[in-house]
Amino acid sequence: MRTQIRQSLDKMFTAFAGSVVLLIAGVLLVVLVPMFRKGLSAVFFTETVEFRKLQMDLHDRGDERTLKQELERVAAARKPIYDILLAFSRGLDMEPRVKEVKNIYQQYGEYLNYRNTPKEQYTECRKQAKEIRDTILDALESMDKQVVLANLDKALAQKGNPTFKDTPVQHFFTVAEQYRKTAQTVDLTKRSEYLAGLRDVTAAIRQLFGPLPGEDEPPLPMDQYGATRMDMARKALHTLLWDEQWIADGPGKPLVKKIIARKTQFTGTELEPLFDRVEKNFNALLLPRHRFYWQYFIDDWVNSHYFGGIGPEILGTLLLTVLSMLFAVPFGVVSAAYLVEYASDNIWIKIIRICINTLAGVPSIVYGLFGLAFFVITISAIGKPCILAASLTLSILVLPVIIRASEEAIRAVPQTYREASLALGAGKFRTLVKVILPAAGPGILTGIILSLSRAAGETAPILFTGVVAMGPIPNFGTPAEWVRNPASIFGGLFQPTRALSYGSYDIAVGDRISMLVPHQQFGMVMTLILLILVLNVTAIVIRSRLSKKLRGH
Amino acid sequence: MKTVKNHFGVFAAVVLAVMMFVSIATAEEKSAVGLDGSTTVGPIGDAFAEVFMKSHNCSITVKKTGSGDGVAALIDGRCDIAMSSRFLKPEEFKKAVEKGIYPVAHTVAMDGVCIIVHPSNPVKELTGQQVCDIYMGKITNWKDLGGPDMPIVAISRDTSSGTYEVFHEKVLKKQNMAAGVEYVNANPQAYARVKTTPGAIGYVGLGFLDDNVKSLKIDGIMPTKQTIADGTYLVSRPLFLFTNGYPKLGSVIHAFCIFYLTEEGQSIIEAKGFVPMTNY
Repeated sequence: MRTQIRQSLDKMFTAFAGSVVLLIAGVLLVVLVPMFRKGLSAVFFTETVEFRKLQMDLHDRGDERTLKQELERVAAARKPIYDILLAFSRGLDMEPRVKEVKNIYQQYGEYLNYRNTPKEQYTECRKQAKEIRDTILDALESMDKQVVLANLDKALAQKGNPTFKDTPVQHFFTVAEQYRKTAQTVDLTKRSEYLAGLRDVTAAIRQLFGPLPGEDEPPLPMDQYGATRMDMARKALHTLLWDEQWIADGPGKPLVKKIIARKTQFTGTELEPLFDRVEKNFNALLLPRHRFYWQYFIDDWVNSHYFGGIGPEILGTLLLTVLSMLFAVPFGVVSAAYLVEYASDNIWIKIIRICINTLAGVPSIVYGLFGLAFFVITISAIGKPCILAASLTLSILVLPVIIRASEEAIRAVPQTYREASLALGAGKFRTLVKVILPAAGPGILTGIILSLSRAAGETAPILFTGVVAMGPIPNFGTPAEWVRNPASIFGGLFQPTRALSYGSYDIAVGDRISMLVPHQQFGMVMTLILLILVLNVTAIVIRSRLSKKLRGH
Repeated sequence: MKTVKNHFGVFAAVVLAVMMFVSIATAEEKSAVGLDGSTTVGPIGDAFAEVFMKSHNCSITVKKTGSGDGVAALIDGRCDIAMSSRFLKPEEFKKAVEKGIYPVAHTVAMDGVCIIVHPSNPVKELTGQQVCDIYMGKITNWKDLGGPDMPIVAISRDTSSGTYEVFHEKVLKKQNMAAGVEYVNANPQAYARVKTTPGAIGYVGLGFLDDNVKSLKIDGIMPTKQTIADGTYLVSRPLFLFTNGYPKLGSVIHAFCIFYLTEEGQSIIEAKGFVPMTNY
């Protein structure tokens, strides 16, 4: 009976432990898979012609001639869309019209002056032109279709007037004709309604294809190009084709979302064909192509991560991690060796051990503040946040982990090794260096691996001591400079750097750009995980080689 | 042979150490400018720095640790320009002067702290007093404000942010927020929280407004570029760069601090969703 209980308890435990492992694996999958999927879309995605244009402009990548042909092709495909948009907005957006008409009138005055027209004739011509101008302006301002058409007809009646032949006044008639066309199709009372819709449509078109022809170049690179990726282009297409509205659903109830096709909002207007045209020719307008953007890992970003890659961040993280290991490993291993091999077991050593164990559990922000107070402010030779201060802070952070792991590894070396070495006549130091440390090597490496990942991923310790959201790549000089001044190779250590961990935090708290380009954010996180993975795998390979050697293979 | 190798290692280490000290001693000062501070002003700093590094031969670093930390860094001499979404507090001024730092404010742009709700919320307008009551926990349901029967989820920025300070001063009149208020770390988080929570109310900068959240009229005034620029909107605020004294004329810091006056600077500010100081 008791055996049965024990057996069933055993089974239950096995089942429980198994399910826990499964649960952890499941959670990891749930967290990591979407992260990697989204992160990989920063590297593997469908590019558009805008992306190729950007790459050519910024990095001189790609073939200039094919790009030029492609750009010509899309320009031809886009032209009808721009034409539709322009024709429709001419009929609605009165301000530029009014300005244009006033300009034409002024031009006419200059034209007459330039011709040295006699004064009387000048006044007469100007008077007639002014009449036409005012009729057109009235037409532009009116909401009543009858009035508009009557005024335009009145203005257009002057078209045959020989006085205005081959003068700037002819432009009046072009404007009037264009507007008459719109006025006949558009319900003018709905002008303001159309105008709001038109603003959304123009914005979506701008997002898809970049600034409209004739527009000033926008100041930010993100507005200078259209959608560079198909996923972003599809989002823009959605806002172009569909309008989201929140409609009242009775008093005291929340509003309800309703999605309306924009086409129905513009039924019967000149703009209507635009929507089908964009949707049908979507690929011809953007020329999508699959892309493996490996340069993501070396490029610098542009416009607060909107474009480009994360090269400087990767470089910074690598520098910080490797440097901190360079500082921490010798100190950690030496102090572990001292604690195990040399120190006697007195009260002071016990206190030191407790201190080291406590330090391993101190929150990382405390190290950050310590680093700020000590390395940056107190040590005047450093004096400002920089790579050196940050990696020193990181090395202090990981020191307890390395000491603990090395201690255990050294303690695990069999006593017989020491005795054999001493018996052969080696001193204590020689025994340590030649026998104990190599034997403890794999164990020490385990500690280094653990601390490596921690150093790479930490944000708080470097936040105040040497990391920046944006800044130039640290300059370690050129070989020519090293020859002239060997110390210049260390100049880079005194500059701040960017890092993956702080970078992903910075994207999250920055402006709304982060919400527009989630792939950049996930890409950075994915890279950080991959980087730690690569560092770990390297360390594990070295460790297995070491232990093989130790076993005498 | 082995001992020679070991000696070489020791020798190399000594040489490295010596070179390091030499380089500490000779670390030359390039024209480097460090910016630190507000996460709200940070995007302006980023964009300016990007343009600036191309046109001027200098290195600019930008860090976003929050208005308070930025000012502290300026006082400690850890940065050259502190970005801040609020004016300095008296005690910060006192501390700065004691350390021989004389902060000078450069107003780069205007920003409005817009009160936002979920787009499904039928409420269109609130008074400043009502917003204050919501955050103090006196009004807890939307039905008291003419909306649906839905508990209010009040979202606030963390207490070290400049946006919080401005909101706290202008809307809450420096009274304490209720315990139930939810704190988030940055503007994008506040925006995301309101976007996904039907009963939520929150506040973000003007640049964050879009179709996914609805900004409310406060005391009958809608936050727009116009109402923010002339200060009629309740929670309008200038955004500052602080330097130690007025920067030396002709220096990179000076050029950076007056960059917002150029047409390029103003159009960048506008493109980033802030309100430029002048109608350029």
